[in-house]
Amino acid sequence: MPRPLPLFTKALTDSWRSTVAWAVGLTGAIMLYLPLYPSIGGSAQMQQMIDALPQGMTKALNYDQIATGPGYTQATLFGLIGFLLMSMASVGWGAAAVGGDEESGLLELTLAHSVTRVQVVLERALAILVRIVLLAALVFVLVLVLNGPAKLEIDVGHLFGAVLLFAALALLSGTAALFAGALTGRKVYGVAAGAAVAVLGYVFNAVGRQSPDVEWLLNLSPYHWAYGNSPVSNGADWGAVTGLLCISAALVALGTLALQRRDVGV
Amino acid sequence: MTQAIVVEGLRKKFGQREVLHGLDFAVEPGTVFGVIGPNGAGKTTTMRCLLDIIRPSAGSISVLGQDPRRAGTELRKRIGYLPGELYLENRTTGRRMLEHFAAISGPVDQRHVNDLADRLHLDLDRQTRKLSKGNKQKLGLLQAFMHKPELLVLDEPTSGLDPLVQQVFHAMVREAVDGGATVFLSSHVLSEVQLAADAVAILRDGNIVTVSTVEALRTAAVRQLRFNSTGTEAHDVGALLARVPGVANVAVRELPADGHAAGTVEATATLSGHIQPLVQELARLHLTDLVLEEPDLEEAVLTLYTGGDASSIGNAPGASRQPEGAHRA
Repeated sequence: MPRPLPLFTKALTDSWRSTVAWAVGLTGAIMLYLPLYPSIGGSAQMQQMIDALPQGMTKALNYDQIATGPGYTQATLFGLIGFLLMSMASVGWGAAAVGGDEESGLLELTLAHSVTRVQVVLERALAILVRIVLLAALVFVLVLVLNGPAKLEIDVGHLFGAVLLFAALALLSGTAALFAGALTGRKVYGVAAGAAVAVLGYVFNAVGRQSPDVEWLLNLSPYHWAYGNSPVSNGADWGAVTGLLCISAALVALGTLALQRRDVGV
Repeated sequence: MTQAIVVEGLRKKFGQREVLHGLDFAVEPGTVFGVIGPNGAGKTTTMRCLLDIIRPSAGSISVLGQDPRRAGTELRKRIGYLPGELYLENRTTGRRMLEHFAAISGPVDQRHVNDLADRLHLDLDRQTRKLSKGNKQKLGLLQAFMHKPELLVLDEPTSGLDPLVQQVFHAMVREAVDGGATVFLSSHVLSEVQLAADAVAILRDGNIVTVSTVEALRTAAVRQLRFNSTGTEAHDVGALLARVPGVANVAVRELPADGHAAGTVEATATLSGHIQPLVQELARLHLTDLVLEEPDLEEAVLTLYTGGDASSIGNAPGASRQPEGAHRA
């Protein structure tokens, strides 16, 4: 019987192991970091220590804001460890979706069946989106659960906005990886492109915050678009949400065009 | 009835390197069409073009009356394809893999799948990564045959299969053809194709050397001949061989007496054409040993290729050849 979205459901079921693995990783990170807030971020001693650090370093790590619960969550979870884990997951999935599949020789047989190339890219992109939404929902729930016990005092609406940006930022590096993989048919180029978006975004943000002379770098940083106004503290910049999602959608669309136009498996 | 496949002037360039130099051939519906040629001749590239996996640089292709580049998913539903290099996912079973492809290209009759798996002696519930090359190939065949497509495009279908399973495969091909399907298959071994195919195209370096029936090809192919005889002078044996049409490269020598009966003559030669006249002449000799080898594909191709003699071989009833493509070298 023809089932709806066969490639989407296959991509999801095939990757349940890795989805669970990343979920475990994110849960571990959240459980390690957030309960420590009362003894680290909230303590006066810690604040003195941070004040003693070079200003450039605290800015690069976003530690200038960790004195508050939302700032601490923003800096440690969304800005660093969560960002890292989520970007890795997303880039891995994006690079594997088309480029990796083609490189391993599997795409040829799939395309010989009754699917279009556009369908392959779209259904697999959708599967990446769903996995990212699942992980982001997990993060949302876990932070919410720890909000009280860890005395974080995060506004739920702000948290929702921050999680949305967290997901959109990961999606961007994932779709960049998907696009590069679809363009070249090589997984390594997909990983390179996705990692470049994530790492350069992070570096441009860290460097751009150092002085007004290099502030222009912030404009090139998706990381800064998402987190520039500290969404856990201040709520999401909805323009940034829309912008990130639009770029991701455009990358997927370009991915379909790229795959549509070339020879597969050569 | 329209032809199942019509290829005209098919060229394919990868960068600066042209691997197909203008192929022309047509496959009649309900026939088995074999493409043979050495590795790198362009067989796989041609097949990938039929499936729209790669795109021709020039020329036109019609598959089941449609251009594969534009036809979309409905056309590929009517085709079963076995890639030349079959890669399977590791973390799945044959059954799950087939279910996935059935969901895309179905509907598939599950009884038909089980029946084919039984005949091929394939365990569908084993992990694919644990399958041997031959068993993977069976799975590849199954996904190509399971939805009873109108056209089967099979790239080196018997590769890795043991002789018994090859027989099953040939039976499957015959059944598909009896059911009205057309089969387009490739091999680098003539003996594999000659069992299955009605017509054969020989591909070499991106050109079609000839399109012919298997019978005509076998006749044209060169065989190695070697025999020993006693009681005859060497020059008489040479003269006898010279009378047989198609015999060439004759070498005759008398063997030293030690270990052989006195007056043993060893002769080697090549034979192209019919066997019967040779056998009649040889019947006059007292043979102690005789070897007439299977026609060698490489030599058959070389003969047809360098000889420029392709026109002497009758075109197959199942295959028509566009005149401009025939003698391109």
